[in-house]
Amino acid sequence: MVAAPVDQVRTLYRTLLVYTAISILILVAGLVEFAYFEPAGQHTGLKATITGVFQYDPTHNTTTGPDRNSFARTMLFAAVVDWSSLPKDLVVDARWYDAFGNIVGSVGPATPDQLTSQMIVPVKVPPGFQHNLPGHYVFVVERYEGGVPVEVIGRRVVLVER
Amino acid sequence: MALATRAANPRQRRPPRYAIAIGIAVALILVLVASSILNYVYLDTVAGRTSLYGLLAVALTALGTFIGVRGFDRDPVQRRKDFIRAGVLLGLAALLWLLLIDVFIFTGAAGPGVAAICALACLPTTAFGLWVVRRIDRNEKEPWRLVLVAAAWGAVVATSLVIWAESLWQLIAIRTLVPGPGLDVSTAFSAGILEELAKGSAVVLLFLVMRNEFDDVVDGIVYGAAVGLGFNFMESVAYMTNLYAIFQPEGVGSYAAGFQWYARQVLGLFFGHATYTAFVGAGIGIARQLPDARRKLIAIAAGFLVAIAAHFSWDAWLTLFPIEKTAIGILEIHLRTLVMTGPFTAAVIALLLLGLHIESQALGDQFRKEAARGSGAIMPEEVSILMSPWQRFQQRMRALSRRGLRAYFLLARLQTAQIDLAMERWHRERKEVDMPLEAEEELRRKVVALRQQLAA
Repeated sequence: MVAAPVDQVRTLYRTLLVYTAISILILVAGLVEFAYFEPAGQHTGLKATITGVFQYDPTHNTTTGPDRNSFARTMLFAAVVDWSSLPKDLVVDARWYDAFGNIVGSVGPATPDQLTSQMIVPVKVPPGFQHNLPGHYVFVVERYEGGVPVEVIGRRVVLVER
Repeated sequence: MALATRAANPRQRRPPRYAIAIGIAVALILVLVASSILNYVYLDTVAGRTSLYGLLAVALTALGTFIGVRGFDRDPVQRRKDFIRAGVLLGLAALLWLLLIDVFIFTGAAGPGVAAICALACLPTTAFGLWVVRRIDRNEKEPWRLVLVAAAWGAVVATSLVIWAESLWQLIAIRTLVPGPGLDVSTAFSAGILEELAKGSAVVLLFLVMRNEFDDVVDGIVYGAAVGLGFNFMESVAYMTNLYAIFQPEGVGSYAAGFQWYARQVLGLFFGHATYTAFVGAGIGIARQLPDARRKLIAIAAGFLVAIAAHFSWDAWLTLFPIEKTAIGILEIHLRTLVMTGPFTAAVIALLLLGLHIESQALGDQFRKEAARGSGAIMPEEVSILMSPWQRFQQRMRALSRRGLRAYFLLARLQTAQIDLAMERWHRERKEVDMPLEAEEELRRKVVALRQQLAA
């Protein structure tokens, strides 16, 4: 009895299936990572009061002018947060992210009481640059649990124009 | 297969796969139209306007592809005209799209000159990539027209398909997710899924419409990589011009654009999109040769899944390999690409080598069987020459030196026709043809006619 020749296309098919198994593991790892940093059931309904985003004077650490949604790249700006609106037992922080996802300003994490002296959260110009880089900047106030930010309780998006 | 002659294939009815192809094409066009309108109405971004105005380029690409594909079923004179028309339309579409990018996205900030320089800088590297990708199919190179069509689809159609979806995904994610790794993973899923589906749709259409030119896993990898290279070209131009506009006021615009060029057009030329979409092509190429529908579907889905995972892993975990802003950073950039995308590229090369090995063995077997048949299409002494690309080249060079350029080209056509015949025999033996046996007889007659021309 002569054995039938092995169809080598099946070897290709099986190799592809092995790759697929590894790929599924990769995608599952991605989902697990997503679930870890975006845990389900963390919605508390809390809202941090972001008073606004204003032009910033770094010399006097004050804000000026009206609440704005866009700034020229030569303008410094900062968000103002009313920490007193939050429960005292929370651990929170506030961060600015630039268009590349880099953190360009932050306070905390700490309790709202500890942050009352840091109501103004300015955007810092990246080292080596004269002005802010253009693009959409995201400001978030985050609630922490287990040392990890688990919920955004305040958010503003502003545009730095080209 | 280069020969699907009119006389050999006088079908009154087209295979069902054409209907599937038309369905996919119509769905893609509807998605494009919907995306453009959605972008324009709801996002009102520059990209939205580009997408809307870009519909003309998309329509030209679709029309060019249709005319080009239709040409294969026509007589040689009409076919040539159709190909010229298709080439002109595709060229216009590509130029129009570049123009739109220049005018509507970046001209205001970077200027059309910078955009033109960026596009020109990416052309030679992309052309080199396409040349290499086409060369790797050492037994039967795919026609340039299809390789270029694949690249054009990657550059124009696939990019258009993903603009709205990625914009929308990003818009929702930024407003709902916690910034940081979770958001990064979400963005990576968006890029992996949407971009690979958009690029892969071009390979699926080629598979459905150009079955005669889509033989196996090797062809799939070639077409997939070509689509990826086209996509990479347009993405490179977009990133280079955008970053130039962002960083130029700080005096480092050229550096930013130059870095993008190196990262995407040199370091990432084969390691990025070309590798990802090659997996889609590999899946479809393997499906081409599987006997039953269930495994065909599994193979196609598997190709997409591997491509999505490869793309996802780069985008999601790029930040795990931070680059220092020192001289050692240059080394780190290369190592990062090698470590993160290298395994996927190696995996696709493994499929390619195995595919080439299978193809070579099968062709050798068919050369011998055809020689033994005594039809005169393939002589026994030609078998060893036909099996080796190097020996085929040497034979053509001998013809060139002895009898001039005409003999060289005639011999090249003869060799191609002989390989086509062997390929056709292979597919028939494996029951993978949806054409009647007359096609094989026609190929045989074609080979004999070419041999007589060469001998004259």
